[in-house]
Amino acid sequence: MALRLDCPRCGSRPYTEFWFDSETRPLGQPGDSFEHDFERVWMRPNVAGVQQERWFHYAGCRRHLTVERDTRTNEIRAIA
Amino acid sequence: MPSLDFEGRRVTLAPDDTIASALFRAGVRTFSRSFKFHRRRGLYCLAGDCPTCMMTVDGDPGVRTCVTPAADGQTVARGAGWPSAERDLLSSFWLLRRLLPVGFYYKTLIRPRAAWRLAEPRIRRLTGLGSLPLDAAPPPREVEHHHEELLIVGAGVAGLSAALAAAEGGTSVLIADEGMVGEKLPPGPTRARLEELHVRVREREAITVLERATAIGVYEGPFVPLASADRVHHVHPERVIIATGATERHGVFAGNDLPGVWLGRGAARMLGSHGVEPGKRVVLAGSTAEVAEHLELFQKAGVEVAACAVPEPLASELPASANALTGGELLAVHGRRGVRKAVIATQGKRESVRCDAVVLSLGLVPRDGLLRQAGGLPVVGAGDVVAPGCTLEEACVSGRAAAGGANELSERELPSPCTAGFACLCEDVRATDLEDAWAEGFRSTELLKRYTTATMGPCQGALCHEHLRAFVHERAGDGPTSAATTARPPARPISVADAAAGIHLPHEQRTALHETHLALGADMGWIGSWRRAESYGDWLAEYWAVRRDVGLLDNSTLGKFRVAGPDATEFLERLYPCHIADLTPGRTRYALLLNEAGSLLDDGMICALSEGGYYLTFSSSAVDHAETLLRDWAETWALDVHILNQTAALGAINVTGPRTRELLAPLCSNAIDSEAFPFMGMRELSVAGVPCIAMRLGFVGELGFELHFPSSRSEHLWMELMAAGSELGVMPVGLEATKLLRLEKAHILVGQDTDFDSTPAKLGFEWGVKMEKPDFVGKAALERLSALELGQKLAMFDFGDAAPPEGSTLTVDGTHAGHLTSSQLSPVLERGIALGWLLRVNGSFPETVKAAGASGRVVAEPFYDPKRERLRA
Repeated sequence: MALRLDCPRCGSRPYTEFWFDSETRPLGQPGDSFEHDFERVWMRPNVAGVQQERWFHYAGCRRHLTVERDTRTNEIRAIA
Repeated sequence: MPSLDFEGRRVTLAPDDTIASALFRAGVRTFSRSFKFHRRRGLYCLAGDCPTCMMTVDGDPGVRTCVTPAADGQTVARGAGWPSAERDLLSSFWLLRRLLPVGFYYKTLIRPRAAWRLAEPRIRRLTGLGSLPLDAAPPPREVEHHHEELLIVGAGVAGLSAALAAAEGGTSVLIADEGMVGEKLPPGPTRARLEELHVRVREREAITVLERATAIGVYEGPFVPLASADRVHHVHPERVIIATGATERHGVFAGNDLPGVWLGRGAARMLGSHGVEPGKRVVLAGSTAEVAEHLELFQKAGVEVAACAVPEPLASELPASANALTGGELLAVHGRRGVRKAVIATQGKRESVRCDAVVLSLGLVPRDGLLRQAGGLPVVGAGDVVAPGCTLEEACVSGRAAAGGANELSERELPSPCTAGFACLCEDVRATDLEDAWAEGFRSTELLKRYTTATMGPCQGALCHEHLRAFVHERAGDGPTSAATTARPPARPISVADAAAGIHLPHEQRTALHETHLALGADMGWIGSWRRAESYGDWLAEYWAVRRDVGLLDNSTLGKFRVAGPDATEFLERLYPCHIADLTPGRTRYALLLNEAGSLLDDGMICALSEGGYYLTFSSSAVDHAETLLRDWAETWALDVHILNQTAALGAINVTGPRTRELLAPLCSNAIDSEAFPFMGMRELSVAGVPCIAMRLGFVGELGFELHFPSSRSEHLWMELMAAGSELGVMPVGLEATKLLRLEKAHILVGQDTDFDSTPAKLGFEWGVKMEKPDFVGKAALERLSALELGQKLAMFDFGDAAPPEGSTLTVDGTHAGHLTSSQLSPVLERGIALGWLLRVNGSFPETVKAAGASGRVVAEPFYDPKRERLRA
């Protein structure tokens, strides 16, 4: 099984149809401390394990997917 | 009679010929010149595993002629050799071999420092296997995707058995072979079994057979690309079985690379399948039962067998006519252009045997490059590749077991360590080179590989890998130092076109006016994937047309979006740093698009079309990014908005210059005087019958209207505008003039004048950021950054009568003070003007700088029309 993403709108497609956007990050809130905002905007945990990511299906529905992927194995745990 | 052209000579073809067999029949013995020493190399494996038969076929270098079918009209030539491969003066390198030790390029040509720079291109020209055709790009190669559950590489007995077993279990199967099924096998029991299996495989709908499709490598996924003549197959299976069989063991002894030394199966194939004698007087040398098979084949064909050098147990099984040299060991082969005699040690003495071919049968080595690439992936081997020399029955069993997902790799014995001859034919690495490298301290398989480049040639170690291991094993014993080196794709030589197949198909976007521009003589450049007119021949005339009369710019490449829905206003308020809610219909606003770090991503216009309905423009190259960003935020905030990308649906033409109204007014459905249509206004009107969203903007610093309209009407509108302006001096205006026009207004180009961390404050765009808003993307970062002193800013410079090159470094009294991002001579101002990044020097921003020898002054106001009187005219 090559890296395929099961797009909820388009079905199972190869990853080449998508642009990787980024790891999902918490939303900022007005009143967040500067340190917190800096961490949130600039720092990436880059985990060896399961992380949540945003992918954009540019060659399909042109919508974002939230993907839970194991960075060690490319196993896709969940897609929404 | 079909024929091919071999270096100007006509070579006739027989049925089922490969290029190599046709050439060999025609008397060609030197098939290539070796990589480093330019030694003659002849046919050796005839199975596509070694590099010696690689030639340039129809312009493609590095084609393995022994597995490439011959075809009428082919043009074939040997790649290396000067003046020719047959008479190659560069073979004198062999006489200089003491001056060319292993890794000589690490040791010589070090001083003076220019030596290597001068020598390298020459060395490159002298080595190698041919030249890449540089005059024409090959046509882009297409990709075909396959999604069968199981991929089997190699359609031999084991592979076909595995396919049948898997299909019986309900699995969909793709089985690929680099040749045609069975073509390499001479008639016999193996061929019969294979054909029987092939018939059964073809009856199965669940099995797809791909012939002449070569596996390039096994990648994560697993993902396996297969190169074929007209396309590359991208296979995305769940599991892979490698059944690529075995190749014969490479013999390493003095003279082992002379033309006339054959691997046994290759020689047998040349005689058995192509009917050409590999030699007139042959010496057989080997340790396997195949010696007897070859003996029978050669004698039946009337080839004289001068001697058989075989170990004791085999000798007793050979007939008397074999001239068996019992216990004989092949020590060396001598000859100049090819094999002349073989030296064989037997029973304590040396015997010299005159011959013109030496045929080796030293056992089998698994062709396991693909398998060794596949660590950690659901990939198993079957047949000879896991158990070299297995019987037919064992191959079937092994195939069926692999279909079930299991197969043990059998441990194999390494060959005896080499002491003379060429260990690696691809890279011309001799046994003595390995010894030298070892003595220099490169004491493991991986280090020897990197230093000597053994195993790094086209065969990727198929022949030499185990000799490298044996060499290290003898000196260092078991353990990681003598372990197998990492196998990497490509397992077979591929072309660059194969590697790029389907991935970088040039993606070209043209505006609806493309042909119109070409007809006007435009020089079309690239802006991202868009083509845009750079100029129509005389960019300076285009420039003056805008400054004095009127010009037309095709702006259709701009990103164009509609944003609407109940939450549209809130959405844009949260996204943009400027106010949105006070933007009444009929007005436009220049807006900055920031990321969460507060840096500028893009700039563009926002128009209110109606209450809660907006029209947005973005830079040409930022369209995709803008769309992902808009959609991401809309979804993240769960707002009810509709986002429609109309970039391709709408065309845009900017009509600009002091005489714009004279041109446009007669064509417009509504008044466009300053009262009816003020600066930064937006009106929906029809121009020459075309419904337009018109914005009154001033990117180039003159009175101007940007018209957006259905792109299907582009040509009509353009023609009408050109015709209406013919008396007014209208000209089409390209990007070159536009870039200068906007520089005179100090209008930035995102990406040219900005960096990834260009915040509004650095750009002097604080007016575009309303910090009093409750929130917008990047606000927290800007608050955080506002506490810090500004270290650099984008500044405007006046360089008097000079225009330093773009990118020039700025200095103040020799101290680095930034660099220029845009710089040109302004015809209307008659001075050099520039934009650039200015750094603080000694705590403050300098007022004067130097760049490329010219002195510049930092100016506070845009160079041209600072009071914007022309814009508001």
